[in-house]
This record gives sequence, C-alpha cells and structure tokens, in this order.
Amino acid sequence: MTLKIGLIGSGFMGGVHAARWTRLTELGLPVELTACYSLDETTALPLAQRYELTQLSSLEALIATSDVIDVCSPTHLHHDQVIAAARAGKNIVCEKPLARTVQDAAEMVSVCEETGVKLLVGHVVRFFPEYAAAKGIVERGEIGDPAVIRLTRCSFKPQADKPESWFHNYALSGGMMLDLMIHDFDYARWIGGDVTRVFARHTGGRDNSGDYALVTLRHANGALSHVEGGWAYPKPMFRTALEIAGSHGLIEHPASRPNPVNVFLHQKAAGDSPEIAVPGSPLLPEDDPYMVQIRHFYDVLTTEATPRVTARDGLEAVRIALAAIESAETGRPVTL
Amino acid sequence: MLRIGLLSVAHLHADGYVGALRDLPGVEFVGFADEDQTRGEAFARQHQTHFYPTYQALLADNIDGVVICSENSRHLLLIELAAAARVGILCEKPLATTLRDAERAVQVCDQAGVVLKTAFPMRFNAPAMEIHNLIMHGGLGTVYAINGTNQGECPHHHRAWFVDPVLAGGGAIADHTVHLADMFRWMLNTEPVEVYAEANHILYANVAPDVETGGIVSLKLADGTIATIDCSWSKPPYYPTWGGLAMDVIGSGGLATMNAFQQNLTVYRHSAGRAAFSGWGSNADRAMLEDFTAALRGEESRGASGVDGLRAVAVVIAAYDSIRTGKPVRL
Repeated sequence: MTLKIGLIGSGFMGGVHAARWTRLTELGLPVELTACYSLDETTALPLAQRYELTQLSSLEALIATSDVIDVCSPTHLHHDQVIAAARAGKNIVCEKPLARTVQDAAEMVSVCEETGVKLLVGHVVRFFPEYAAAKGIVERGEIGDPAVIRLTRCSFKPQADKPESWFHNYALSGGMMLDLMIHDFDYARWIGGDVTRVFARHTGGRDNSGDYALVTLRHANGALSHVEGGWAYPKPMFRTALEIAGSHGLIEHPASRPNPVNVFLHQKAAGDSPEIAVPGSPLLPEDDPYMVQIRHFYDVLTTEATPRVTARDGLEAVRIALAAIESAETGRPVTL
Repeated sequence: MLRIGLLSVAHLHADGYVGALRDLPGVEFVGFADEDQTRGEAFARQHQTHFYPTYQALLADNIDGVVICSENSRHLLLIELAAAARVGILCEKPLATTLRDAERAVQVCDQAGVVLKTAFPMRFNAPAMEIHNLIMHGGLGTVYAINGTNQGECPHHHRAWFVDPVLAGGGAIADHTVHLADMFRWMLNTEPVEVYAEANHILYANVAPDVETGGIVSLKLADGTIATIDCSWSKPPYYPTWGGLAMDVIGSGGLATMNAFQQNLTVYRHSAGRAAFSGWGSNADRAMLEDFTAALRGEESRGASGVDGLRAVAVVIAAYDSIRTGKPVRL
C-alpha cells in the first residue's frame, strides 16, 4: 500500500520537500506525494503542475485524503494545521520552527502524544553531513565533554524586496531569531544537552536591515554555546560554521576565510540571486541533507525507527529561541 | 640611544620582546631584572643578556624605558617603582587584576609625568589595522555587531602562574578578554557600557583547577553596537598554533571578517608529528615597541595608553561581577 503524503504550503520549503518525496517515489519506495493545499495561489499552481499534485481547496480535504500531512506553511499556521491532522489520526511532518509560541508547540506535542500520531520536526541541520558527523564524534566521546560550542548561521534577508512576505511579519514568523537561529539552538541542545539559561543581544531587527544576534546558552551540564545568527549579509552570501571544544579535543568547521581580511559589501543590484538561500556543499544526491531527512521521515513513518528529532526537541528549540528573543528585549538573562 | 630593559620575565612575551628590542634601531636593550633567581638565570642564559640583581639596580642604570612582563597582579608594584625612578613604562596586558590597581597605575604615572603604555599589540596587527581603517572610513557603514574570538590553548605549561587566580587575576577571562575589548574601543571609538558573561570549567580542568577555562563575554557599547568575546582556552595543546584572534564585523554596508593570525604556512614536520602554523605576517610586537620608543622620545604615539589598559580591565572586572551575580553589569 502506498503511503500518501499531503503537502500544506507551496512556498520555498514546500518545493524542497516536494522534490524529495517525489525522488523517493522514483527510487521505488511505496510513497507518493499526492495532494497539496496552499493559501498562496501564485506558488500553488506551478508546484501542483510540476509534481502532478491534486490541488485541494481545504485543509479538511487534504487531511481526509492523505496518510501523512507534511506541514510547510508559514510558522504561525503550524499549530492549527498540526492539531487538525493529529485529531484525524494522521502522522505529521512539520517544518521548523514547530510553532510560533511555546504554548502552541506544547499543545501540539501533547495532542500528538494523546492521539498517538508521530510528529516529525524538520530540524534539517541534524541531517547536514558535517553536523551529523560532528555529533557522531561527540557521541563517541572522541573529544570528551563538550565545553564551548560555537555555531554560526548568517545570510541576507530573505525576500527583502517582498515586504508583504510573512517572513517580515514578526507576529507571524517570530523574526530571524525564531526562524533562522532555531536551527542552531536545536543543534546546540543536541550536542550540549538541555539549556538552562539564555542571554541574547540583538541588533537591527524587525524592520531595518541589520538583523543580527549574538546569543549565549548555558547548558545543564555547564557547557556554553555561542550562537550567531543574522539576516544582515550581502546577497547571496550564506555562511555557516561550527566549533565544538571538548575536554579532550576540538572540532572545527570554519566558514571559509581565504584571506586574513575579507570584505563583502551590499551591492545596489544583486542581480539574479535567489530570494531565499540554504547553505550547501557539493554532495552526491543521496547525501543531500533534505533528501536524507525526508528518507529518515519515511523510515520513521513506516517502521518503529526512532526519530532523530523528536516532537519535544522541536518544542525545546522553540522554547530556547523565544527565551533568546525575550532576553534580547529585556536585556536580562532568561532562566529555563 | 634609548636604554630599555625588562622588569620581570614572568610573562612568556618577554622572549619575543628581547629579540624585537635588540632589532630596533636607536634602542639599546640593557637586560632585565627578576625576583625569581632560577627563572632569571635561565632567561639570562637563553638570551645571553644581563640579569640585574634587583629591579632598583636596573632602574638606576640610566634607563629610559622598561617593559613590565611580571605576573598580572604584580604589575602595579613595578609600575610604582619605575614611575618613582622617572622611567617610561610599557606594561603587559592586562594592566592590573583589580580596578583599584589599574586606576592607581594610571595615577602614579600621571603624577610622576612618565609614559605609561599598555601592551595591546593588536593595534599594530596589520589585518586589524585594515579593518580599523575600513570602519573609520565608513566602508562598512554603521557597525551593528562584532563577533570576536580570542581563544587559545591553556597557557599553564608556558608559565604556571597563568592559572593562578591571584597572580593572573582569573583564568581565560582575565587572560583573553582585554585584547578584543580594547579593539572594540579602538575601532569604534566608543566605550563599552554593559557586560554579561558566562564561564565554565570543563576544558583543561585538571591542569587549571582553580580558574575558569571557558568563557563568553557579551558587550553592549555606547554607540549601540553589540559584541561578544569568546575568551575560552578552547584550543587543545596539540593545535597547530597557540590559538588566535578573529572577528566578524557586521554593518549596514556589509560584512568584514578579520583573522589576525591567518598569515601562516601550515608546516608538517616529522619531528613534531603534527601540523604547525608558521606565521609570515608583519611583526606587531616590534611595531608596538617601536611606538613605545616614539612615546619615550616625546613623539606622537598611537599605542594603547594606561587609560586604555584601565578601560579593558574594567570589562574583565565587570565580566567577573556578571558571572558572580548572574546579571548584566553596567560600566
């Protein structure tokens, strides 16, 4: 029996997921992305045509005709959509951040637990090969106890010339710290364990261009994480970096710095560079992190395999991100 | 000729200063004094230089300037001796381990009318100067944020006192916060106004049992810029080099990255059994010492002053206050 996937959302991530589900089908797995429900008519039609999806006009119809609901909608919509799917007994894949608020995320987790459905959160960084490899090295004890973890994720402002985009509506997206930095909050927690204290400084922000934050996390075991995130780079730059210093060793994965001094300036015309970017390295198709993630979701959906990211992980990442936002706003450390 | 000597060689930078001072035109390196006889004899042998029996003996030997390389908590004592002898001073960083000592150091030199400089060689590091110029000339527009790292290996095996909380004034935070704190002030021409810090004790826990070895210091500056300093001793002892200093500067105009010590060759030696960085960049220590000689001659000098040293100490003290109280500390 073929596992029928119903996609919510037809934006950037909807397209990313659609391509990978389709690839699984091409690889001969009994899974098929069959339908799509989206509020955005301009992107929904091309996506439906490209992947031969039935375009449905209601969430209810999508849930009724699918085995699994893949939620790639804007953040603020996740809560209602996930709850509806869970109440209908459908397993769920949900893009990060799990929700716009901790309360929403906690409710989603508990409803999924009550109804016994799987809730898989798209913290894709855990599937990037360099991040997964570093986790393995830490897990095997090769560098001892993690002590100071440094994570960087900076790019340009997505869809900067579309001010109407939900990305730019803080009430809907939670801004850069919730949308972007949550990747590394989750990864920091994966490496360093539960977070007990968060201190953040944030510059620029909701309206102007220099949207950038420096966040310190204290973990329960005493480890510290320094998380840098920003939508303040010139297009089309996207840099990520990780460094994990442990009691018995060090892992470095630097953002490339070919020269002692490098200057990257905002250009008046950035040409045809994309509106949204994701970091990447040359990899064989099967190692594409989004592919590995979707394949993993498929395994978890069809077997008893343990998810690499649990629903609670998704909730905790939201909790850290919102604590960081609170800290940046109040100027005080936030204890979790 | 300017006659210059070292007061104490407790700090490992003393080794490099000897070579640089001997190399500087117009300077006569006269030797050094140190209260530790064993350390002094070894240093005299290693550098084939004169070991004065006492600090006073060196200061009385028609000296123009001294470089103080003692343990951090002993800087003030030597500054007072040199100021009393009307000898100009370049003092290793951090200027002091307490705010009171740092203030006193500035005060005694003011009163004696002697030069007091703080050894912040980053002001003479060529990549750092390029970023400084870029910012000063508006090349990055309005600077929003700086993400700084000054990490290193734990210096215990160079000199044991670096991990002594009294002699060093603390651990990684006392050792590695001041360079970037000074650079932020220098590059942005503003002052830090708030400090928050977290520290831990996981790295090098056995060899540095009494001080913090990991630390993140978060700053807010008067112009609104935010910044962090990772001062951790987070490089392992077999890292290709001692550590490094780097920063990413984010402004309205874009991004600039700077690595102060990236001009190096990676060298693999059978004898070492591991990779090592061999630097080929300009010698900032030499340029700093040259600037010190200009100050001694009464010429224009752009090196960090005693007050600059004091301001950086204030950040360190605030960081420790923040760790103790769990709160951001206003300066």
